[in-house]
Amino acid sequence: MDPDGLNDALGLSDDKSQNLGAYIYQPPKHGKAGERPSKRRKVSVSGNEPAQIDRQRFVPLLNGDENAQSVKLRHDSYQQLWSEQEHKIQAILEDVDAGVLTEVSSFVRETSSQTCNGCIPTALVTVGSNVSSLSRLLSRLNEQLISTEEGSVVVLESGDAPNLKTTLKNIIRATITNTDGNDGYQRFLTDRSGPRLLGYDLDLLHDYVQRKGTKKLVLALRDSEAFDTGLLTDLLSLFKSWIDRIPFTILLGISTSVELFEGRLPRSCVALLQGKHFEVQEAGNCVDRIYESLQTASSTQLWLGRNITSTLFEITSDYFQSPEAFSRMVKYAYMSHFFANPLAVLFAKPVPIALLSQRKLCEVIRNLPSFRIFCEDLVEEGSTKQVRDMLENDGYLLKETIRCLDAGQQKMRSIFQAVLAVHVCLQYTQNTGKATVSDLSVRALSGELADSTLVDDMIAMMKALDSNKLDELIGRLQDILYNEQLGAIKANLKLLLETCPESGSLRSGYNINSTVTTTTVVQSRVQLSKGKAELSEQDVEYTKIIDQLLVFLQDYLAETLIRPQDMFLHEAFLFDLRNPLKETFAPRPRFAIERALATPFDYLLSSSDATATKISAKQPATAILYQLYLESGALVNVHDLWRAFSGVFENEEGDSCDDRVVMSLFYSALSELKTFGVIKNSRKKTDHLAKSAWMGL
Amino acid sequence: MKRKLSDSGETPAVSTPKRRRTALEQANGAPNGHAPTHPPPNGDASYELPPSRDQSTPKKANGISATPLKESGLKTPTHKSKARDLFATPTKPKSATAATPSRVQNADRSARKKSARVLFEQDEDAAWDGSEQLAEEILQGDEPDIGKAAPPLADSIEADPEEVEEKGAKQPKRRAGRPKGARNKRSPTPEGELPAHERYFFQNRAGPVKTSNANLNKVSLLTHEEYFEKMGLYEDPCRDEKEYLLSLHHRSFPQWAFEFDEGFNICIFGYGSKRKLVEQFADWTYHHSLSNTASPSIIIIVNGYTPGISIRSIFATIVTAVMGDDVPSKLGAQPTEVLELLQSALKSGGETEQPVTVLINSIDAPPLRRAANQALLARLAATPRIRLLVTADTPNFPVMWDISLRDQLNLVFHDCTTFLPFSAEADVVEEVHSLLGRKGRRVGGKEGVGFVLKSLPENARNLYRLLLTELITVMEDGNQSDDEAPADGCKADDTGIEFRQLYQKATEEFVASSEMMFRTLLKEFHDHQMITSRMDASGGEILGVPLSRDEMEGVLEDLVLG
Repeated sequence: MDPDGLNDALGLSDDKSQNLGAYIYQPPKHGKAGERPSKRRKVSVSGNEPAQIDRQRFVPLLNGDENAQSVKLRHDSYQQLWSEQEHKIQAILEDVDAGVLTEVSSFVRETSSQTCNGCIPTALVTVGSNVSSLSRLLSRLNEQLISTEEGSVVVLESGDAPNLKTTLKNIIRATITNTDGNDGYQRFLTDRSGPRLLGYDLDLLHDYVQRKGTKKLVLALRDSEAFDTGLLTDLLSLFKSWIDRIPFTILLGISTSVELFEGRLPRSCVALLQGKHFEVQEAGNCVDRIYESLQTASSTQLWLGRNITSTLFEITSDYFQSPEAFSRMVKYAYMSHFFANPLAVLFAKPVPIALLSQRKLCEVIRNLPSFRIFCEDLVEEGSTKQVRDMLENDGYLLKETIRCLDAGQQKMRSIFQAVLAVHVCLQYTQNTGKATVSDLSVRALSGELADSTLVDDMIAMMKALDSNKLDELIGRLQDILYNEQLGAIKANLKLLLETCPESGSLRSGYNINSTVTTTTVVQSRVQLSKGKAELSEQDVEYTKIIDQLLVFLQDYLAETLIRPQDMFLHEAFLFDLRNPLKETFAPRPRFAIERALATPFDYLLSSSDATATKISAKQPATAILYQLYLESGALVNVHDLWRAFSGVFENEEGDSCDDRVVMSLFYSALSELKTFGVIKNSRKKTDHLAKSAWMGL
Repeated sequence: MKRKLSDSGETPAVSTPKRRRTALEQANGAPNGHAPTHPPPNGDASYELPPSRDQSTPKKANGISATPLKESGLKTPTHKSKARDLFATPTKPKSATAATPSRVQNADRSARKKSARVLFEQDEDAAWDGSEQLAEEILQGDEPDIGKAAPPLADSIEADPEEVEEKGAKQPKRRAGRPKGARNKRSPTPEGELPAHERYFFQNRAGPVKTSNANLNKVSLLTHEEYFEKMGLYEDPCRDEKEYLLSLHHRSFPQWAFEFDEGFNICIFGYGSKRKLVEQFADWTYHHSLSNTASPSIIIIVNGYTPGISIRSIFATIVTAVMGDDVPSKLGAQPTEVLELLQSALKSGGETEQPVTVLINSIDAPPLRRAANQALLARLAATPRIRLLVTADTPNFPVMWDISLRDQLNLVFHDCTTFLPFSAEADVVEEVHSLLGRKGRRVGGKEGVGFVLKSLPENARNLYRLLLTELITVMEDGNQSDDEAPADGCKADDTGIEFRQLYQKATEEFVASSEMMFRTLLKEFHDHQMITSRMDASGGEILGVPLSRDEMEGVLEDLVLG
């Protein structure tokens, strides 16, 4: 047999790269030795090349018929849109961190061992699930300290600290490279007078601190709980003895609680520390804020639909994700939209009509489900001419499309305005105040908010508001909605309040306090009777205003909170596909492998009509073995398994099959199952395997 | 009951008080709920039977009751031998049946005791084994025997074989094979569709597991050469489909590149080797960057499955690729040092430089699986300008990363099921043999041992011959003295010869003149893993050979002939 055929059959490439641990890729034909130096030179010259590469990333859609400019437009509008959103997210993150950052940095600046009675000043930062916030905090603190030349921050992870020597060495090296770079460290080690010190000698650090005039050396242990307790004790006692020469400040990142962390350390060690406790805001709040700002901002052009919103929050809460991870998912949603949706070209500003007038794009628009509904509505209204024009005239269609896109986006914005309005009202009416903007958005995006009990309850509760609160509420509503009617109501209220400044707050007729229960004793029986208390004239006026407001609100909500899916072109400005996001960020690899093995023809689109349910020799060997494995008990006899396996082949191929070939297949299948960890050797009986995974478990 | 009374009235031979005891016992049996269920057949049977046998088991009346009669009449020796197998000592085969009925009675009594216990400690599992049913049968079936003080010898023996036979068939001894009857069947697949967790508990319930005793001794296992040769002959029926699948994945390369551009790292998973796909992606990236910028991007491929691969070597390769000729002569021994060097080198290059693409095959392979390694790789992934694509083969790989690592890795996942064999990733033959617990064979097997022996001096060969002869003798002796013991592979591995004994033989045959010399010879064998040694319970050293008996004989043959 020729070796090529063998390699081919086994999927082995001819070059022996597969046996190398790590190697630099060289394509088989272009791998000439002289090529490498020249290409490196070219790289350093080119400055604006990344943009050029980027353009190539987008694949022409519409069966490859999309023209290059459209592709470029899609890419550019993605860049522009996302960079705006990213700025917003960054601003929020910075804002969230700002509080803790100022606290921590002032703590670092103000405390020293002198102020702490000779102890090591320590900042305990509890981060909870918001892991990434600490690294943001630390890098910004580092920047601050370096820019003011006060000192620096050294971050240490548990992985860097296998033993005391290595830990010290890592600390010293990280401190010096942080400011002087790697070369600086090497120079520092060699350019010293006197005997050469070992890498883990704290004298080196002392020397460095003196040379630099460092006032604060912050040592941050990012995952303090993961450090070995003994090592941490040794390290801290060592720092304590150097604290008069090296100005250490320890910063401990704690994910559980300070008490638990303290409980693990010996008391003698805890006695060395003196410090303060800081708390980083939980990730959940931050995520809500990001979502709110992304969706409700007036500049938003692309919205996330309800499926995607619920997926996002599901993943975030299931996996304790950081705000960054959340925003990455949103980013991926944006990326998917612009990468794969040809309508995304409509986002380009100004819309290049000439460029858009490709037949294909118009066809795409005409085939949209929302276009169909739109046309049907128009026909019902009687404007058949418009429909005919849209179907026949490309130019007209594009003009209409752009107009409708704008209108649709405007409607989306007002939906989110209404969501915000409802949110504000809820703050005044709901005692528990649990509904967040994201909850409300999900409802609004599925078109259920206007009719929900939540809103009904809210309206009912609003009737009972007194004038002070109402005044405040209307003020806040006006920030969100710019509406004349609301202004008029506000003016009325103001007028009313001015007329009776002395009476305090006014109450509406719906208020429970204005219903008076009268107790009368009639023939020695107590009779309770409810009746409307006498309302003052102002109160009656006030009740009218409340009625006005409620009518206005109800009308407004009913008008704006429409189902986004009913709008024409919602495919373009509403991204609502659950799948790319869920599969890319919360994969189910075990399910995928089990499915591939249990029903291989789900993946291998077989041309032959092999029945999917039956085991046959047409399937890959591992799939056959896995299905036999599924049928077996917790203990599997290898010999019987082998008989069953070869039986599958014998049944179909009769005498023509080579027993040893089947045996080889059996071997490879068995080794793969072992690699997947579904079988292991059993000591109970000879030649038996123990099953260790159950499908779907 | 009326029938029964008349029944007992008719039977003349045996004395009455004992009869009464029987009746009493049957009455006692009634509350247990066994006797009342079967009185009619019992009665019917007893009418037809001769009076002395009228008390035969009420249960066996259905069908079986007729046959044992005939059989007992024939007195077939086969049954007796079966009875002997289970209950009598094998040393005195002939006398057992004829002369010692007491032995049989003893055996019966112990069986009854056991059955009573089984019935008393009824549990669900017994129902699966059928042991409960069997116990019922034994208890009821033996009642007459207890009743009769001195049953005729022939009777007791004849009555026994069928019980014993049933016992042999139904007892949860492994050798007995599948029990008969639907209720007894312990099937691995229960009735109906069970959810996965129920299936787990079903298959893992306590009690003996029923699998056959067949083993792979008769099957000759594959060697590496044969494996590769035969795999070459195999024609994959799904070749086209697999290629189509690969081409589908190929289509998403621009998407992956876009994801790289936007700062994501990629993890591809799914069944099948993804090495080929990764190689294609490397090729695509290389040519793509070449056509766009006229300068190919830096691509490093890492094979995580390579045994003995270290994180440091991966980092060192990347550093070499990035820095070219400027690599410092000394990189540092710690992986963190190399990583920091790499990070500073990348930082100094600036943002506009070409990105560095690192493709890691099988990031979940054992050499890279350790948490410390994953943490370092995550740091690599978080480095700007580094683009990381990893492939993962095992089903549960995401558990390698906690949230902070996941955060650093910043992965997007793609299902890239390829169905390609893991030919480079796994040493198939080795894996399977270790799975079957035959690791020793790999060291050379028969050929390997023969090869080593050829290169050894005469003395050593003689010693090995001696060792093999002794071992084979021991094995044969063992099989003769104890024919119950199955000659399976496990037994063969266990047989050994005492160190002293072998030394003595060796001096007798003038192979070794001193213990010192003897040990030197043995050490040579040890070095080539041709012998095994272990301590037995008394502390003596037992020497063995990691070969099956056939192989031993083969080697011995070669030694004697050669």
